[in-house]
Amino acid sequence: MAVLEVRDMSIRFGGLQALENVSIDVPEWEIVGLIGPNGAGKTTLFNCIMGLYSPNSGKVAYRDHDISLLPTHRKVALGIGRTFQNIGLVKELTVLENYLLAQHARIGYGPFSGMFGMPNTWFAERRARASAMEVLDFLGLAHLAHSRLGGLPYGTLKLIEIGSVLATDPDVILLDEPSSGMGPDEAHSFGEQLLKLRQTLNLTVLMIEHHVPLVTAVCDYVYCMNFGQILTHGKPAEVASHPEVVAAYLGGEIEVDHPKEVEDATS
Amino acid sequence: MRTPVVTFILAALIGLGLLFGAGVENGPNPFITLGVMNGFVYGLVALGLVLVYKGTRVFNFAQGEFGTLGAYFLFFFLTKGLPYWLGIVLAVAGTLVIGLGLERVVIRPLIEAPRINVLVATIAIALALIGIEILIARIEPRSLDSILPALDAAGDPAGITIFGLTIEPQRLIALGVFGGLGGLLAWFFSRTDLGLAVLATSQDSFATKVVGIGVPRMSRFIWGLSAALGAIAGILYVPLTGTLTPAVMTVNILIPAFTAAVIGGMTSLPGAFIGGTIIGVVQSVGGWAGGHFTLGEQTWNLIIPGVEQAMIFVVLLLVLLARPQGLLGKEA
Amino acid sequence: MTATDIAPPVDESTVVLPAVKEPTRWRPNTRGWAIRIAVIAALVIVLGVRLATLGGLWADHISQAVIFAIIGLSLNVILGYTGQVSLGHHAFVGLAAFVAAHHITERAGCLPEEGCQYAPMGGFAVAVGLAILSGIIASGLLGIVALRIKGLYLALITLTYGFFAVNSIFEIPSLTRGGAGMPAPRPKLLITDHRFMVFCLAALAVCLFIDWRFLASRIGRAVLAVKNSEAVAASYAVNVTAYKLMAFMLSGAFAGLAGALFAYRRQIVVSNDFRFESALLWVLMVVVGGLGKRTGVVIGSMFFALFPYLIDLVTPLSDFLANLDRDPEEFTLVIGPALALITMIISPGGIAEQIRPITNWLAGNRFTMHPDGGSHHKPSLLAKLRNRSAPAAEESS
Repeated sequence: MAVLEVRDMSIRFGGLQALENVSIDVPEWEIVGLIGPNGAGKTTLFNCIMGLYSPNSGKVAYRDHDISLLPTHRKVALGIGRTFQNIGLVKELTVLENYLLAQHARIGYGPFSGMFGMPNTWFAERRARASAMEVLDFLGLAHLAHSRLGGLPYGTLKLIEIGSVLATDPDVILLDEPSSGMGPDEAHSFGEQLLKLRQTLNLTVLMIEHHVPLVTAVCDYVYCMNFGQILTHGKPAEVASHPEVVAAYLGGEIEVDHPKEVEDATS
Repeated sequence: MRTPVVTFILAALIGLGLLFGAGVENGPNPFITLGVMNGFVYGLVALGLVLVYKGTRVFNFAQGEFGTLGAYFLFFFLTKGLPYWLGIVLAVAGTLVIGLGLERVVIRPLIEAPRINVLVATIAIALALIGIEILIARIEPRSLDSILPALDAAGDPAGITIFGLTIEPQRLIALGVFGGLGGLLAWFFSRTDLGLAVLATSQDSFATKVVGIGVPRMSRFIWGLSAALGAIAGILYVPLTGTLTPAVMTVNILIPAFTAAVIGGMTSLPGAFIGGTIIGVVQSVGGWAGGHFTLGEQTWNLIIPGVEQAMIFVVLLLVLLARPQGLLGKEA
Repeated sequence: MTATDIAPPVDESTVVLPAVKEPTRWRPNTRGWAIRIAVIAALVIVLGVRLATLGGLWADHISQAVIFAIIGLSLNVILGYTGQVSLGHHAFVGLAAFVAAHHITERAGCLPEEGCQYAPMGGFAVAVGLAILSGIIASGLLGIVALRIKGLYLALITLTYGFFAVNSIFEIPSLTRGGAGMPAPRPKLLITDHRFMVFCLAALAVCLFIDWRFLASRIGRAVLAVKNSEAVAASYAVNVTAYKLMAFMLSGAFAGLAGALFAYRRQIVVSNDFRFESALLWVLMVVVGGLGKRTGVVIGSMFFALFPYLIDLVTPLSDFLANLDRDPEEFTLVIGPALALITMIISPGGIAEQIRPITNWLAGNRFTMHPDGGSHHKPSLLAKLRNRSAPAAEESS
């Protein structure tokens, strides 16, 4: 059974057909890769799945339930986590506070008991801190709990963000270029970490990724997009050698041996 | 490239058509005429707002107070016995110097700060100017003479009469100055190298640095120009109401002018002109409808307090709710 | 089946893991705590004794300062927590003041012209409640507008709303009695200025507590996340619409409370008390205090309120002003904006940033001039100017 099913998703921005009849299946416990040149519509697809954009047509189903019309925060509360290309963390908060924010739906006391400082809110906060620390410890980031985000290296921030998505207690996570800003070694160890995460937490993953060695190493299935359409899909090795995919990447070959340079680490 | 100039001429024609053409018996004609005339002053201040916004992406809250300042300068020089024309020159020059000084001391250090901070900074400038006016000129109203006397030699009201409403010479001068300045600015931004450089700076300050246009120089130029525009608006407007008090331009003109600029999309000079006229007419007709309401045979005399402010609030809210980027605006 | 039927995917209670400790922070030893507690206690006692022995006039000044502080907290919620600007707060405070006064005189029937000296206690409580409610409703409506309009445009909508309210709503004779003003007699319990000051201080304490818990709880984190990025906030399961409205309504509640206190402090509400200059000044006092920092905001607001009276204390200054025939109050409109500009240009953190070493030490941290460890230390003004003059020099050569 597919955890996440996208059916015939289309969206238009003015004269630009950003997505056209995109269908994707993300089966339970699989890591599904989404590759394609810049501007192919990968992040747009994420935004449509999450409800940040309203697609012109198409459906999203989560475990056979149609969730197309749910607002973003409800989808997240159901168990769909999502990271951003340029780090979806809150600058004003410390790492630990970001992880508390991530548990927003689970902490769950009402606004009035919060504002008036009712005893139950204090206990709920303490429990949330404990589970935030567990996630941080799991990722080996516990020593950074009280740090501010400014000044931390980009790769660390990416990892912190993935951790904060884990803290939302997801069932399936959507990762937007998780290895951007990482060197080849870091990307490799990130891949191992991702496999370990899936093993321990029973995660299902849909991941936009440019780093082809990482894709071939961890993904069970790969979709390749170009000009808002699914170009092809299949096992990583098949897709990487598919002539149309090779053509889509600026007519050049996919550099399997020499990983692609980080394109835009600052954005 | 020619579009702004053409649009501007078109808009001017529409305005003049409204001014002279809308003749219905016993209708709100005088109010429309009055509204159009007020609209020119709104448009003039709106031009200054649009100029600064176009050039530096900053909303200048102190634009209205530049006008009050100019009027006070003029008042000061007239009491010193200087001729009117010299007073105007000195008043505009004085406001220009203050505008340049404020740009150097306040705006330049904040050039890379978030835009909302710069908005708050211009609010602080406006408030400080009001405070200084109160301290030096006191709160009591002064009267400022018109450029041409409102009464001719025979003691009759001067100027031309339309639909039973006499338009004072001052308003006609305001109309002329407004049209001239608007056209000049439209030409400046579409035809001159400096104007295009200013536009480029507002789009991407980093890129302009790379190609060698100095951002500080542009900022200085824009603030000086807008301070001078503000002063001219004040000098033209204040004699129309007859009373000069601290904050008079901020209270009476800034908000309608801003609304005019928003209707025009904040970056369009002809838009500011059209917006100013629309706001003037809406306010004036609103005031008329708030006073007398005629339906068939019956006439009600209503008195709605502050109907002119209410009209502006409603217009601004509706425009922004419908199109958060302004009626004629292309960008947010 | 709808999506709401889906069961939560993970059952937390089955796994019990050993708790992970938060990294240890530096904490003072017993002596360190003792010194800090002693300092705080000394401050509280000195301030308490001073306030308890104040004369009526200064008690009234302090009441005004406390009302300003509550207004500052109210604006701080919008400016500091949601990142928007409200230039129409004089309308919210004024509306609440009129509602409070209107209820006491017209509804509770305490008409001073009919010889009513003291407002009934029940009517007073209801009036304060209604004032807070009016603030919540007015500010909630602004919040609805803020769902679509942001930044500059929202700021100017609030400004036009302020003008509209002052010129239209505040001119409705049955609510405000026109220019003569609506009387707002105090209840007997609060009849002296001194007792009223204590009441105001208690109200401020409640506001500070609510503000503290608001920011420290999931509510405040959600609001800060929305300010940072709505898309990111939604991806942490935050209902962006609800939390934006909640922040605006909290701000409105504070503004309403401040309005009620405003009414009973003067015991008469005149529409001329609510000028757009005050709304702008209130924004600036929050900036001077330090956006988003409640201690700084309270200090900054109180300073703005007390500034004219503090000038009066300095005899040479007040003599000088008396010679010029100028009222110290008139200087607030010059000094306030000047302070705000200096704050923004030189130290954007405001008073809160300046007193941070002290507040940090009192809260049980090491004393250091750079509590963020230097990484957030902004370059000095001189350094900035030097950086900027370098490309300018190239340009001219």
